Amino acid sequence: MRYSLAIAIAGVSLLVSAAPAWAHHAFAAEFDSNKPVKLHGVVTKMEWINPHAWIHIDVKNADGTVTSWMVEGGSPNTLLRNGFTKASLPVGTEIVVDGYQAKDASNKMNGRDITLPDGRKLFVGSAGQGAAPDEKQDK
Amino acid sequence: MGTCANNRASSSGWGPNTCRLLLLLLPAQVVFGQAARDLEGIWSNATITPLERPADLAGKQTFTAEEAAAYEKQAVERSNVDHRSANAEADVASAYNQFWYDRGTKAVGTRRTSLIVDPTDGRLPPLTPEALKRVQDTRAWIEQHSTDGPEGRTLGERCILWATAGPPMLPGPYNNNFQIFETRDQVVILNEMIHDARVIPLDGSPHLPSNIRQLMGDSRGHWEGNTLVVDTTNFSGKYSVRGSDANLHLIERFTRVSPDTLLYEFTVDDPTAFTKPWTAQIPVTRTKGPIFEYACHEGNYAMTDILAGARAAEGKNPK
Repeated sequence: MRYSLAIAIAGVSLLVSAAPAWAHHAFAAEFDSNKPVKLHGVVTKMEWINPHAWIHIDVKNADGTVTSWMVEGGSPNTLLRNGFTKASLPVGTEIVVDGYQAKDASNKMNGRDITLPDGRKLFVGSAGQGAAPDEKQDK
Repeated sequence: MGTCANNRASSSGWGPNTCRLLLLLLPAQVVFGQAARDLEGIWSNATITPLERPADLAGKQTFTAEEAAAYEKQAVERSNVDHRSANAEADVASAYNQFWYDRGTKAVGTRRTSLIVDPTDGRLPPLTPEALKRVQDTRAWIEQHSTDGPEGRTLGERCILWATAGPPMLPGPYNNNFQIFETRDQVVILNEMIHDARVIPLDGSPHLPSNIRQLMGDSRGHWEGNTLVVDTTNFSGKYSVRGSDANLHLIERFTRVSPDTLLYEFTVDDPTAFTKPWTAQIPVTRTKGPIFEYACHEGNYAMTDILAGARAAEGKNPK
């Protein structure tokens, strides 16, 4: 019984997918709404992987130590089509990330809002209109 | 561009049925400069037109050109707002800003207010009582067991099959692209989400024996005039179209209605799931390539995070 129900889940996913936005997976299952996080960090790496890209940042703590965090982003194919390239977020870029920490309390969070030092928000906008103007490319 | 071109701004453009009739009657070269049976290329079905007609558009089957433009403008403006919610749970659930998505900014070229064309109210027909119970049972099971292990997550989360990849193919949040390859004996549809390639024989061979069941079913194609008709049965039931089950009989029709437009139609006929068949119609447009790889499983950190999060919540693996 358990197996037969489990395998039927894919079909029901459409029926229950009333969330306001629909990512590859349920973010509410991965990140904790009780753990809002706002970090100021420096980009050390970006993983262009499916299903979602991950931005790695180093965050300097008050005592001078550094903590590494991983920030979950969008589908790499879509990022590229929307004008976000490898050059859009080079290593060393300072960013402020506002989101929620993973439920397992590891140093992972979703990239709900990412702001550059000049105040530009990286990902506000709809398809083809979200990238900062100088990052737009004809794909 | 020919008369059947997808000229959405034209108020006197010919409807898809007229186009189909024309394509049946005339040599392809008369309709447009290329062979009408040539479906090859990279196509996008991204659209902001919903599968079902929204309640506030009840009774309205199509937009005027002006209404369609206003609808699109409104949708783009709405999605350009930074949707932060004061409610943390809703904020987590909405996950991303709109930039992460690629739904497109256009309503379908036919200016219909829903992708569903039959029933004429643009809504899914009711599920049968048995199907409704199955769906409810599954929902109840999900509530109790969705983080027990990977088997409790959706096929999409498990990188096995994306719910809109089909068949039938429906618009989703992103990667709404597919490539069609044609040979003399086969048509292949490569879907960017999640990487599935469907090989459709055109040799007139029958479906597989009914005891052989496949996740994406068993597709067989044939030409009716300039329309490729693909008939799919033998579904396993592990993948479902809005509540369909293993008895789904899917009929898809691909018609090239202009150099840059395919009219894609499908009918879901599943008497044990739906109280009557339903049909949707999506004009898909040529798009720039390439189709990117969607190597999903390798980078699916989220699966680990979700299950580890559930274990942490149970206190078995506190950090």
